[in-house]
Amino acid sequence: MVNRNLLKEAKDLAAGCDRCGTCLTVCPLFKVQDLERVSARGKNAIARGLAEGGLEPGPEARAAVEFCLLCRACADNCPNKVPTDEAMIRVRQHFTDAAGGPTAKYVLLGGVLRSRRMVRLGSLSLGLMRRLGLLRFLPAALGVAREFPRSAFLEAFAGPAALGGQAPASAAPLGGRVAYFQGCGMRMMFPDAARSTLALLSGIAPATARDNVCCGLPHLAHGMGGTFLQLARENIALYEDADIVVTDCASCGGALKHLAGHFEADPVWKDRAAAFSAKVMDLTEYLVRAGYRSAGKRDLTFTFHDPCHLARGQGIRAQPRQLLADAGTLVEMAESDSCCGGAGTFHMDHPETAGLILDRKRRNIEQTGAQVVVTACPGCLIQLTRAAEASGGKFKAMHISQVI
Amino acid sequence: MEAALTSILDDLRRAVGAGHVLDSGLDRFGYSYDSSFLPLVPARLPDLVVRPRTAGEVSAVMALAHAHGIPVTPRGAASGRTGGSVPQAGGIVLALDRMTSILEIDESNMMVTVEPGVRTMDLYEACAARGLFYPPDPASWKFCTIGGNIAENAGGMRAVKYGVTHDYVMGLQVVLADGTLLETGGKAIKNVTGYDLTSLFTGSEGTLGVITRILLRLIPMPKARGVIRILFRSMDDGCATVQRMLQEDIVPSVAEIMDEISLKAVATRRSMDLPAGSACCVLIEVDGEDAASLESQSRRIEAVAAACGSLDFRVAQSQAEADELWAVRRGLSSAVAALAPNRLGEDISVPRGAFPEVVRRIRAIAEKYALAIPVFGHAGDGNLHPSVLCDLGDPEQAGRVHQAVDEIFLAALAVGGTLSGEHGIGLTKRPYLEQALGAAGVRALRAVKSGLDPKGILNPGKIW
Repeated sequence: MVNRNLLKEAKDLAAGCDRCGTCLTVCPLFKVQDLERVSARGKNAIARGLAEGGLEPGPEARAAVEFCLLCRACADNCPNKVPTDEAMIRVRQHFTDAAGGPTAKYVLLGGVLRSRRMVRLGSLSLGLMRRLGLLRFLPAALGVAREFPRSAFLEAFAGPAALGGQAPASAAPLGGRVAYFQGCGMRMMFPDAARSTLALLSGIAPATARDNVCCGLPHLAHGMGGTFLQLARENIALYEDADIVVTDCASCGGALKHLAGHFEADPVWKDRAAAFSAKVMDLTEYLVRAGYRSAGKRDLTFTFHDPCHLARGQGIRAQPRQLLADAGTLVEMAESDSCCGGAGTFHMDHPETAGLILDRKRRNIEQTGAQVVVTACPGCLIQLTRAAEASGGKFKAMHISQVI
Repeated sequence: MEAALTSILDDLRRAVGAGHVLDSGLDRFGYSYDSSFLPLVPARLPDLVVRPRTAGEVSAVMALAHAHGIPVTPRGAASGRTGGSVPQAGGIVLALDRMTSILEIDESNMMVTVEPGVRTMDLYEACAARGLFYPPDPASWKFCTIGGNIAENAGGMRAVKYGVTHDYVMGLQVVLADGTLLETGGKAIKNVTGYDLTSLFTGSEGTLGVITRILLRLIPMPKARGVIRILFRSMDDGCATVQRMLQEDIVPSVAEIMDEISLKAVATRRSMDLPAGSACCVLIEVDGEDAASLESQSRRIEAVAAACGSLDFRVAQSQAEADELWAVRRGLSSAVAALAPNRLGEDISVPRGAFPEVVRRIRAIAEKYALAIPVFGHAGDGNLHPSVLCDLGDPEQAGRVHQAVDEIFLAALAVGGTLSGEHGIGLTKRPYLEQALGAAGVRALRAVKSGLDPKGILNPGKIW
């Protein structure tokens, strides 16, 4: 059934936009395609136009609201803090509901990520490819070949979207039971980095991995809100006996910290969700709070790419830098917090545009002369690995757990 | 689409490249609005959006439009506040935002030549990198285009010391309504050869020609800058301070004032704490040779402010603090707009000495019509922005709002001021033009318009 309220909600979210144009200068998409409908201002106008009957809710409008990184650079810079990303999520859900469900590829994606078995199979097959030395082909393969079953797993790197404002830092006291939340991207794509994370955690206090399910962000971003809630409930229950939940995926972290907000009107789950969100920490947030120090400073130059979901989603900028400066030499790149173009499934849906955004990122990385670009999100790491290849070996891309 | 347009569609595509002619419903909607309070829906849709890259392409588009009598509305970043780039009569939106080259920075003559789509901030920074200063800084300078600044004769905060856009325009290349290329002015400082066409096109709101190249003069970049925030218990105290500073020959590069409602709106947005009783904020920028010059100016300003009853005096001690104080002013307009469903932002300009008087009159109008009308503006030059906050969806309110706006304009005219200081007339202030200029004034404007654009295809429906 079509939920009329979603457009109204989107319109209300966009209502603070007075069309000034501040967002035009910060939108990574507008930088590579300078059409009004691409900008946040244009998207807010589309949301309002749809709600007020000035625009036909056809495929063109749907494509325009899908063409958003949900990176929140606009909202962060907006004088009125208009949450364009949240408005876009509403309009997307509206279109999904109106069409009777998400498009086939998102259904596939949602299905894969909902299933523990599929996610694990993903890591097995990727593990095999690693052993066969095929890893370097992976990023290039991500955007193509849907006929091969692997593509189903690869779609999972969706890593997703929907930041939903900046989550507060966790105030959970240290010293309790620490549990690792392993996101699908880390599990399937970067198991080595995931092992490093667990080793780092275990070096501080006993830490356990759980058989968690997907954080649900891909589902939320693509009009599968119901599945998102199901997954959330499963994860909340799974971590109820933990005192601290650490994740090394910025997207998962952002989503998990925001779970509480989605259950505010749910008398059964409200308190459990709030308790869960309050104990979620990003790996770097936890390590800095625990006073972690690298074993020694290496003769390596790092530069850090801020994942959207870490910098704007969780307000975490200083912690990864502190850890990197401790482990080597940190050099800042220009526009370090500008989206890499990964943005969930965006890099698969719009490979050309994502490529243009990544070119800019690559040039910024190259200009630092750093040997390694470090990040804290598997979604970004996929893109940065591509950038590293394109740079012809000028730099490597690694997860922060692998270098500190 | 009109038959005339359909017939030239292929020619337009050949002229600018097929990818730069947009005709989808979504794109037409995207180029139907600007940053004014005109409602988004029903949209004033253009039939086509054309995005030329060169003056030659602009000329080709104009020649086609002229031959077929098709309206053309030039557009930069659509950050204008009066509907200037809104395609009121449909036809073509001529988006100039691909024309983004800085063509020359002539350091010996201290002049810069740019295309109209260059963002004002990019222009500023390119000049600053050579130690040169382009002073006009409309609040939208980070995203507005220089072409739009010329078309609207944009002002900004530094007008008190450095003047407005017009004071820097030395010459223009303009494509006339029929596609003819016209060059005006030049690098010679003294130039009285014929009418001052450069001035005529500056502030012409896209109704006389399409500006395709701009020659601007620059000045040396001041070596040091400082930012000061002063809080007062009343607007009268704030106005008096600025007045006395200027009389004592302390000329700040910026002197911005905001009233209590504005101040609270932005303080809430930015989670700022203010001393109790703060009902007026004056933000001052001083520039000079060195730190000592700033220090002496700020001491003198502190003394003047204290004599006028200041509540709090804060000099930014770091760049970060200066940026923070600036952000308050830059975010003000949008923060005020967010206070109500609709905001009718005005732009009246009065003789500097009449500033306190017009603020008092606006207060009285706000009370009379039971409306919130926050006021902020450029105290140093007499240009102020009363914002009538309202919900135009409520018919009872709408009547009161329009009466209040009428009276604000009358108040400005009554104290010897005018309708618009820096936003232009566009669509939103059209009904008041004759009151401000008189019948003879409007006839003179019309005569100029019909001389340069006899078919009336350039930005029709604007100014009068």
